[in-house]
Amino acid sequence: MTLPKIQGRTLALFGLLIPLLGVFLWLTLTSGPLAPVPVTVISVTDRTIAPSLFGVGIVEARSTYRIGPTMAGRVRRVEVEVGDQVQPGQLLGEMDPVDLDDRVAAQEAALHRAESGVTAAQAQVRDAQARRDFASAQVHRYEQLLSAQTTSEDLVGAKRQEAQVTAAGLAAAQANLESAEQELVRVRAERAALMRQRSSLRLLAPVAGLVVSRDAEPGSTLVAGQSVVEVIDPTSLWIDARFDQLGAAELRPDLSVGISLRSAPVGSLTGQVLRIEPRADAITEELLAKVSFATLPDPLPRLGELAEVRVILAPLPPGPALPNAALHRRDGALGVWLPGGDWPRFVPVETGAADLDGWVQIRSGLALGDQVILHSQAPLSPWRRVRVVDTIPGVPQ
Amino acid sequence: MAEAGLGIRIQGLHKRYGTGDTAVEALKGVDLAVAPGEVVGLIGPSGSGKSTLLKCLGAVVEPTGGRMTLGNDLIYHDGWRIPDLRALRRDKIGFVFQAPYLIPFLNVTDNVALLPMLAGRPNREARAAARELLAALDVAHRAAAMPSQLSGGEQQRVAIARALINRPPVILADEPTAPLDSTRALAVIRILNRMARQYATAVIVVTHDEKIIPTFQRIYQIRDGRTHEEAGLGRTLE
Amino acid sequence: MISLAGRDILHASGKFIFTGVGLGLLIGVTLSMAGIYRGMVDDADTLLDNSGADLWVVQQDTLGPYAESSSLYDDLYRGILTVPGVAQAANVTYLTMQVGEGAREHRAMVVGVVPGGPDAPGQPQYLVAGRHLTRGHYEAVADLMTGLRLGEQVRIRRNRYKVVGLTRRTVSSGGDPMVFIPLKDAQEAQFLKDNDAIIHQRRRTAANPALNRPGQPGTLEAVLASQTVNPSVNAVLVRLDPHADPDQVAGEIRRWKRLTVHTRAEMNEILQAKLIATSARQIFMFLVILSVVSAAIVAFIIYTLTLGKIREIAVLKLIGTRNRTIAGMIMQQAVGLGIIGFMVGKIAATLWAPIFPKYVLLLPGDAVRGFLIVVVICVLASLVAIRAALRVDPAEAIGG
Repeated sequence: MTLPKIQGRTLALFGLLIPLLGVFLWLTLTSGPLAPVPVTVISVTDRTIAPSLFGVGIVEARSTYRIGPTMAGRVRRVEVEVGDQVQPGQLLGEMDPVDLDDRVAAQEAALHRAESGVTAAQAQVRDAQARRDFASAQVHRYEQLLSAQTTSEDLVGAKRQEAQVTAAGLAAAQANLESAEQELVRVRAERAALMRQRSSLRLLAPVAGLVVSRDAEPGSTLVAGQSVVEVIDPTSLWIDARFDQLGAAELRPDLSVGISLRSAPVGSLTGQVLRIEPRADAITEELLAKVSFATLPDPLPRLGELAEVRVILAPLPPGPALPNAALHRRDGALGVWLPGGDWPRFVPVETGAADLDGWVQIRSGLALGDQVILHSQAPLSPWRRVRVVDTIPGVPQ
Repeated sequence: MAEAGLGIRIQGLHKRYGTGDTAVEALKGVDLAVAPGEVVGLIGPSGSGKSTLLKCLGAVVEPTGGRMTLGNDLIYHDGWRIPDLRALRRDKIGFVFQAPYLIPFLNVTDNVALLPMLAGRPNREARAAARELLAALDVAHRAAAMPSQLSGGEQQRVAIARALINRPPVILADEPTAPLDSTRALAVIRILNRMARQYATAVIVVTHDEKIIPTFQRIYQIRDGRTHEEAGLGRTLE
Repeated sequence: MISLAGRDILHASGKFIFTGVGLGLLIGVTLSMAGIYRGMVDDADTLLDNSGADLWVVQQDTLGPYAESSSLYDDLYRGILTVPGVAQAANVTYLTMQVGEGAREHRAMVVGVVPGGPDAPGQPQYLVAGRHLTRGHYEAVADLMTGLRLGEQVRIRRNRYKVVGLTRRTVSSGGDPMVFIPLKDAQEAQFLKDNDAIIHQRRRTAANPALNRPGQPGTLEAVLASQTVNPSVNAVLVRLDPHADPDQVAGEIRRWKRLTVHTRAEMNEILQAKLIATSARQIFMFLVILSVVSAAIVAFIIYTLTLGKIREIAVLKLIGTRNRTIAGMIMQQAVGLGIIGFMVGKIAATLWAPIFPKYVLLLPGDAVRGFLIVVVICVLASLVAIRAALRVDPAEAIGG
């Protein structure tokens, strides 16, 4: 016999309890450790891997001219400001000469005195010459008189002796002249040296360039070697780039590079590797290289600005490739997971070159078109079921 | 039909609560005999021992002395009692209360069939027996209803059916008509009489309901712990 | 035989289901608590798994790098590579800091790893999107919890990093999501402060007459340059040859390199016994209290339900129902309530687990244990009600 009242209640109760049980079982099987892991898959594709290197560098000038005094002194004036363009030989600044000008004046006077000395010595030579000429003429005349027996032997002897004395006097005067001339040369040289010293206090631009820093102001005292201004050649800007030693073996001069400056990360400049430094940095484990700009951007990149450098290496012949996210290490072997129905399967592979976008060449272990697991929501294991989805749940799009 | 020696019989039943000086003697030698098929009234003022007597008859309170037989079974004899009072209540005594006290979460049929089902009789058999009784009591049409959906009289009839399900030799009815108007009260008494005859059951109706007292053939009046048998008016019910 | 308990439940199904749902939510909280504890243990495990290392080489006498700070010179790994049995050794740095800016700022553990794809120790084990680090600078792989998206730029200290990959469940022992960046950037991030701090430092150095001597041009520059170099890392992750004995290799490194080495087992011990032990005990206390509260609630509910039926029970007893039947009815109801509660609780815990900021791991084993405990608690809790029911005097049913 039917019992409608009870049946209605029973139905209602079971109507509640059975869905409850259903939800319970469904949740147990679809969430938590018993649930299959959502995974995405990707096929092994034929792809040209263009390995590239990524480096970071700083914009530097090839040569920097630090212009300063050669000896300690005080800055008298600085003629240029940072950012000024200068021409070769242009006066940049001057050191205080202190007593140098007075010493030049003293040398000037000494020079005049030496010149007068030379003139006096020349006059003496001429005088001695005149005396010797007269004495030798007298000797000649008295010798003729003696041969005519019109004078005495004694007188001729006296004249001869007189002639000898005047000859000696001439020699002395000549020596005197020479000495005066040497003195003049000495004083002249000394004056020239002072003048040169004086001119070295004037700081001149060695090349056409750009003033990048003004390190001292008038009045400050510098030691020899400190710079007053720094001038660079703006056309010689390059990037001092550092590349991780990992995988940088292919780095060669003349490779073309893409450059992005920190101030303009999207703007893409080009350039090329100028040279690889023979010496690598042992501490940071980086290779150092110089990268030149193909064309200098306008405005000029600032010195010391950070720049990212991407070196595009020669593309490899196309081959099977996978994103690096598909690769996993398991029991010491590198490999990939194949979805293979419900239960995933691990297959070791051998990898080749990789590029900066994360593509890795697969040398062996997989064939073109093979489906492998790319992303997964949880670690994979052969004992955990997987479910292929388009995107992993929870990943923001 | 009524058969001498069967039904319920008690002789010199004593019940003392407490011991020593504080002891209260509630029953001081009660004698009572009801034959199968007979309906007797048990009346008495409050505190007369009426309630205690009912509990002794219902095997929930043990008398301290006296003798009671139910059908052919000796229940009490001067301090001795049969070991399993619960089974006795279940199998040999039917209870009808002032309120029906039906189990609210069972429907009418199952309320009636509950005892045999708990005793292990097959459900279908027990329910068939219950439906038979319900038919006899004119409530078969409410067999599937829940107790809360019945009127007071219907509930009381279902309660009577429950009391009868094990065909007990005796039915104890405790103020079965108190909440009912006189028509319904008389109807209940009529049913009890009919059932007593039909199932050869002794029925003791504890009451002080003036409406129904005149219907009894015999009345036991209990006063001060003792019963006094009186002839009732035996007014015909039809 | 008739099931009194079942009939009662059917009769009072609304009350019963609502009570069960209420109890279920409480059980859900309890299960979540257990899940939080499991999540913490799993976080620690994942932290170790993610580092992909067999040995952790750290500063001498430290428990680094997760539990204590540790600092090593970054060229030490070369020496470690020469130890027999070592297959790979890689520097790693860990630094918890704020990542991002403004409203999108996140507390994260920045991990500096040697870029080299999935092969290098320290790299995340698996990705949910994108790729591994390939460039030596300015790339990041971030955990989903950071809320970052692929291709987004994230600011870490001085530099902006492009998010190239996303991971999941890469968290520190404190539950902070990880952001992986190339090692050199991480060293810089760890050392280089903000620009203002650098300028202040330069000024301070320039004002120090011992470092800025007149007449010694270049000294100041050299000092400044040396101040901005950080040759330290926090640990060296070592991966062993497949057949090498970790303890033996660890012993070699300890002995000859004068460094502290932790094996995987020791690391587990450090993370679980030292780092999360207090939190775990805290959670365990919560679990105990919640279990007691659940038990009390079940007991109270069953007791109340039973008291509501006390007259029916008296009648049942009067008409001769056995005590066993009545006790069975109450106990079945308690267990039924427990089963509904457990299912509701498990569903609730499963549904709200992803909303928790930290990982909540609900293990099937825990669920089974939880179920058994719930049943035992319900049975125990019903004892009070059973006791009350059995004390009911059948005479109460008879008036007077």
